[in-house]
Formats: sequence, C-alpha cells, structure tokens
Amino acid sequence: MSALLELHGLEVEIEGLPILRGVDLEVRPGEILGVVGETGAGKSMTARSILDLLPAKATLSFEECTFGGEDFIPARARQLARGHRIGFVPQRPRGSLNPVFRVGKQIVDTLRRLRGMTRKQARDEALNLLRSVRITDPERVYRSYPHELSGGMCQRVCIAIALAGEPELIIADEPTTGLDVTIQAEILKLLGEVIAEHNAAGMLITHDLGVVADVCDRVAVMYAGRVINLGTTVEIYREALHPYANQLVSIASSLDSGGTPQEIPGRVPNPGDELAACAFAPRCFRAEDDCFQQEPPLVQIEGQMAFCHHPLTSEVVSV
Amino acid sequence: MTGPSETLALRDLTKIFRIKTGTFRHADLRAVDDVSVSITPGRTLAVVGESGSGKTTLARLILRLIHPTEGLIRLEGTDITRMKGAQLEEMRGRMQIVFQDPYDSLSPWQTVGRTVAEPLILHENMSMQDATGPVAAMLERVGLSPEHARRYPHELSGGQAQRVGIARAMITNPALVVLDEPTSSLDMSVQSQILLLLQSLQEERNISYLFISHDLTVVRYIAHDLAVMYLGKVVESGPAAEVFASPRHPYTEALLKAAPRPDPNYKTDYVHLVGEQPSALDRAPGCPLYGRCPIAEEVCADTPQELVEIEAEHRVACWKRT
Repeated sequence: MSALLELHGLEVEIEGLPILRGVDLEVRPGEILGVVGETGAGKSMTARSILDLLPAKATLSFEECTFGGEDFIPARARQLARGHRIGFVPQRPRGSLNPVFRVGKQIVDTLRRLRGMTRKQARDEALNLLRSVRITDPERVYRSYPHELSGGMCQRVCIAIALAGEPELIIADEPTTGLDVTIQAEILKLLGEVIAEHNAAGMLITHDLGVVADVCDRVAVMYAGRVINLGTTVEIYREALHPYANQLVSIASSLDSGGTPQEIPGRVPNPGDELAACAFAPRCFRAEDDCFQQEPPLVQIEGQMAFCHHPLTSEVVSV
Repeated sequence: MTGPSETLALRDLTKIFRIKTGTFRHADLRAVDDVSVSITPGRTLAVVGESGSGKTTLARLILRLIHPTEGLIRLEGTDITRMKGAQLEEMRGRMQIVFQDPYDSLSPWQTVGRTVAEPLILHENMSMQDATGPVAAMLERVGLSPEHARRYPHELSGGQAQRVGIARAMITNPALVVLDEPTSSLDMSVQSQILLLLQSLQEERNISYLFISHDLTVVRYIAHDLAVMYLGKVVESGPAAEVFASPRHPYTEALLKAAPRPDPNYKTDYVHLVGEQPSALDRAPGCPLYGRCPIAEEVCADTPQELVEIEAEHRVACWKRT
C-alpha cells in the first residue's frame, strides 16, 4: 500500500537544541496513526512540522517527504496543504476559536477561503458540517460565541472546521486532553467516524495509551526526538520490539489490571542533554556496550519496525 | 459509623458557596452535598468524578482550609470540624496533602531542604538545625539524595519535584495524606515510579490516603475503596474491585464504560448520558443526574435518594438500582 504521508529523516532544531533527530514515519490512506510518547519526545513538533506551524526560531531539514505521492516540503505546507489537504484539530478547542466572532462566521470564513464559496453556499455548508459532527441544534451553535459553548461542543466545532477544506489527512494534537472522560469518549468516537466518512486518514497525537488502543490502527512510539518503534496497535500492545515501547505498554496494562507496574528508572532526557547512541540506553534493562557506542539498527519483523540493538523478538519474550 | 479505628470519618459534610448572580441576588451552589465517607488506617479511598464534581472542595474541607457549612469531620476520633488556633495547627501535622502540580506547589525561593523541613518547624516547633537529620533521611526515603536539600525547585525534574512534595507531606508522619491528582502532570514512566513509592510508604507507615483523581487507570491500581462524586454528591461508594466489576449507578456505569483502557481489544462505549454535566447551580432537587440519566423516572426529579447499601459496604444512591 502506498503511503499518504511519508516522512524521512525529519530534523528540527530550535536555537541549536535538537528537538527532532530524524523522524521516519508514514500515514497510510484510511488509517488512524497514533503518535505516542512522553513530554519532550517530539510528538507535537512532528505535527507542527507537517503543518508549517513551527516557532519562528526553528530550523527544519529532511531527507525526503511525500504527500499523496508527490514531493512535500513541510516549510511550504501553509500554501500547499494546510487547511485544504491537511486538517488540524487542536488541543485547546476554546483557545483556538476566535472569542469575538460567532462560531458560524468562523466556519464560513474558512469555507470561503479554502473552497471559494459564496456566502450563501458557505452558510449551508457550515450547517451541514455542524450536523456532520453530530450537533443536534446546528442553528443555535452557528449563532453562538465560543464562550457560550461547552468544551466538548467547542471541540466539535473545531473538528467541523478541520473538515471544511475536505482534507485527506486530519492531524489531531491531544484533542481530548482537557475534556471529561465521558465527553472524551464521544469526541474520539466522532473523530474516528468523520475520518472514515470523509475517506481521510488521521494522525492522533496523545500520551494516553488507552486512547490509542481505542481508536488507532497503527502506533508510532517516539522517544527523544525519534520514532523508535512503529507497528499495528495489536503488535505494539502485544509484542513491541523496542524495550521502551514494550515497558511503556506493560506499565499501562499492569496499572489497568491492578498488577504491580515495572519501573523504568531515570527520566526522559531534555533537548540538549548529551545522548548515548541509543537515547534510551541509560534507562534500558537490555542495554549493552554497543547501545552506547553505535547507532541502533533498523529491525523489521512482520509489520513492525524498531531501532534497537537488542529488540524483544518473540523468542526472547517467551523466555 | 465513626469510631477511633477510623483515620477519617465524614458525616453529612456540606459546603455551600453563595454566588452573586445580580446586584441584590445570589444563588447557593452546593459544591459538596451531604457527603459521608470514612477511611481506615493503611487504606486508600479514591474519590473520582469529573471536573466540577466537588472532589477538590472535599479535600479542602477535610484539611480545614475552608469551613464546612454543615456536617462533621473526625480525624482519628477527634472532631476537628470547628477546631481553631494552636490546637488545629497541631492537628495539621497529622493530615497533609500532595498537590497535582509539583512545581506550583513548591516555593521557588526556598531550597528543597527548607521546604521539607517546614512542617516540622511549624507543627512540631523544631529548629532548622534539628530538622536537618530527619529531612536528609526523608529525602533518601523518597528516592532523592541528601544533597538535593540544597537545590531549588527549578533544578528538579517533574518526578523529582513530586518526590519533594511527598517528602514534605510525609515528614510529620501523618495519619492521613490527601493526594490531589498526584500523578496527572507526570509522564507515564515517572507516574509508575511515584505510585510505587506512595504504595510502599503506605505499607511501611500504615497511612490512610484520600486519592483524588479522574484517571481511572491509576485509581484501579491504587484504590482499596472508591467514592464516585457527581455535582457534589456521592452517588456510589464501596470496595474498589466490587464497584469496578459491577457498577450500579448509571453515572458510574457511564464513567467506567467511557474510560479508555490500554488494550486494543477493549472498545470504550458511551451511549449513556444526555448532554454534558450542568452547573451545580441548575441542579434538579432530586437526583443530580436527572436530565442526563437514561433510566430516570418521575420520582428521580424531585425526591433525592440516599445512599443505600446493596451489598457489603457497596452503597448506591439511585431509585432504579436499589
């Protein structure tokens, strides 16, 4: 299957500090790819690179990027893709809507800019979009200001705006972080449904392994500015090759089942910290000398890929 | 229900905030409404609920940071509801809190050593010199080194800062520690380190925890008992395993079903509740869930149901499920 979005060797530096150190990943048509990792792993920066939303001081470089089979230059995403080919669902829905304009106007403006609609067409389409995100009283929401809506409702509006340009890819950055659990479940389900209904693909950035298990087809696990393990959700949750991914999942599942979690010693490195050849080596229970000296090789087993000298292949796991 | 064998017992605890709604008008917001729970030594009671359910107000009432409108708070058999002055100061050494944000809850101008020593200085009249020894021992116990005493909060990682918060709470050897979302701002790998630390401290010192959280995965792991709050009311309580396995209140059910679990074969579900949690000001006189509840009947609108014991220690406040 050819990928919708492919990134190779994506690097971002901010004021000399390496934030992304060579990100490789691909999003396939029709799938939802989860991007997980702890603070500072580079999840949001990866999304921002694709959307050309990096801070002004950031410098970006890459080996090869393609979107829909064509060359894709992240630094020009603003003109080429943001809005119409790639939609974005933000983390703080209320903060991302303009507080002084009615919701309807904000959707209409987006539609007119992206799809060149007339006012009348845009108004009808805006109501359709509000309906498509399961808002039962679209007329009222259309006339509301963001502060008159609840957090869950604002996020529905943001999803409607993300859909306005009929995007092929929707990137959602922690879309449910500030929401209550019962609302989170609704928004995630909605996101999955609209992505399927619009024949788009999704990229979901989160730190919550429960959310990933719930909605994602494949998972990319990031650590210290790199994707260190990528595979289907079942592969990553059952037999992740990379020790970090494996331990992260096992901590979450043992907490969930009431068992005692394993402990990963130490902490996540900060950007600019001196790193071993494998950034996880100092915390890894399988690390040997080569992990500190040589770049970890790419290991591929079935659909899964990992960068690791001593991956947890099935023979090892069963011991 | 109350007795000296309980570290903490609350009876009919209520906090009403008077909210100004106009120049001469006001409304009463029942932030915590008729809450009765208790914790025995060495056990963890988790209070779960969504934002606005009154969890944090409950914690602040227990610690006597705000005054209850009605009801009773008993700590180790002593009524502390109206306690004041020196007596209360002494009591505060027996109950401590660990906050959600480890950086915000540490003074940026104080060294770690000073921060951890402060409860000893305040509640046990120790001098800074005398406190140095216990502080060093406490820092080691929470996984830091005595050298950390000279550092400032900005020099610490999130996990280390939370360890300082725990050291500060534990240094007076309290009977009760309120943990207000202690791991929600931490990374997953660090989260498990902190949970393991809290657990081993509890076993070692027989402390009671009141664990406030909205993260059901963490609660599933650490809680012995569970109280589910909705708009200031406890709608269901009981042994955690029992409530997780067979929730009775429609709200508990919705909450548990909606919580994602780290298992690709498990799918969350929501169907249940209509709309979103209203403001506590607009609550129906009956059941707080009335209006959102899928199984509500007329009686639910006007008549509140008390918590009724349906199985050993498992209580639920619902007309339809009791």
